[in-house]
Amino acid sequence: MSSTSQKHRDFVAEPMGEKGVMALAGIGEVLGKRLEEKGFDKAYVVLGQFLVLKKDEELFRDWLKDTCGANSKQQGDCYGCLKEWCDAFL
Amino acid sequence: MPLFEEDPAHLSKSRLRSDLVAHNVALPPAQSRKEVYVGLHLKHIEQKNGADFSSDEEDQDKEEDRGNAEIPDPSCLTDDDLKAALLKHGVKAGPIVATTRALYEKKLRKLLQPDGDVGLVNGAEKDVLYSDSEEEEEGTTLSSEGAEEETVEQSEQAAQESSQMERRRSHSTSADTEQELNRSNVQEHWSQANGVSSAPILDTLTTKNQSPYYTPKASPFKRGMKPPLEPVKDTFKDIFPDTHATPTGIYATCRKPIKGAAGRPVLYGYPESPVSPTTLERQEVERRIVPFKIQILVFLIVVVLLYFINVCVEDSSFAPFVALLDSLNPISDAEDGLLLQAETQDTPALSGQE
Repeated sequence: MSSTSQKHRDFVAEPMGEKGVMALAGIGEVLGKRLEEKGFDKAYVVLGQFLVLKKDEELFRDWLKDTCGANSKQQGDCYGCLKEWCDAFL
Repeated sequence: MPLFEEDPAHLSKSRLRSDLVAHNVALPPAQSRKEVYVGLHLKHIEQKNGADFSSDEEDQDKEEDRGNAEIPDPSCLTDDDLKAALLKHGVKAGPIVATTRALYEKKLRKLLQPDGDVGLVNGAEKDVLYSDSEEEEEGTTLSSEGAEEETVEQSEQAAQESSQMERRRSHSTSADTEQELNRSNVQEHWSQANGVSSAPILDTLTTKNQSPYYTPKASPFKRGMKPPLEPVKDTFKDIFPDTHATPTGIYATCRKPIKGAAGRPVLYGYPESPVSPTTLERQEVERRIVPFKIQILVFLIVVVLLYFINVCVEDSSFAPFVALLDSLNPISDAEDGLLLQAETQDTPALSGQE
């Protein structure tokens, strides 16, 4: 994988503010809906989960899979995007 | 040492408590004395253990026994016990809250599964599935078991991993998370299969102080010392031409950092970073600056040329030029005068003819 998606770059480029959960890379319509149903309606809520898991990739991926059924690539995209955001802004 | 050989009276109260919880025994009131716990422990757990170790599990180690005992329900543990249980397995758990508990329970369950079942057969397959980061994490759990051996194993394995990874990149890393917990087992097999023969050679070639100082946390550093590993592999190949480094018979190539292996995004350093609008603008401006300088230069040259012409005109060629102009003027005046005379002469003649 040589490059990242536009969505990833957009997300990482600025503070997430009040962005919705679908602004996260790897989270599209379907996964976004599922996450919203479970109360993860904003990107920062997912970030909270990411942080409470201590940025652990494996756990976060597992969580994402359990919560919204994300596949491996989606998990990776979402993890990478949050990780990089944290590196930049935390 | 099997669990049931421990005298419950020698265990701490909290330990007794967690054991009881693990065996689904209702806890006595919090203020009860230790004897109460010991009594309960003897009553419930000893019996159970006696039944458990009937035949085939006798040779398993203590941790596994406890693991088997706890398998029924990590969900029965309290948050603290769950955390302690994870810590026993070398996992530093974060805060265990509502949204994370399920994950940690799952992880504990995975860790508790006996890892003796999975053998060498799957070993090679599994290595492919692990990415670097997972390997590091595994290193954390294994850190207690002889660091030196581990270094050799990991480098060996990492090298092989990379070769396989290149061929089978399509494999997704997370495909089989349960396999992860069997890694330690896989690595043990590695040490049997390859580590034994390769360990002495690697030891002589790698500097001695690497192994003692090796910690799994320092794996970025480990990646840094990959290049020196390449010649090591070559010598290994030279010395043991008949030895197969991998079950697949493929020798490892020089390991390059695998960026975004197996479908993961690249986390650090992009080859071409996205250009922001401001930098684009600046580039545009810069592109314009160079011709602008040239324009100025040309303008200056033109100005200097004009100045020289002006100076020349004023200095030397001024006089002849003016003289020329002067000499031209009288002639034209004279011609004008003649023409006028001619006209005046013509008109009366013409009028006279009419």
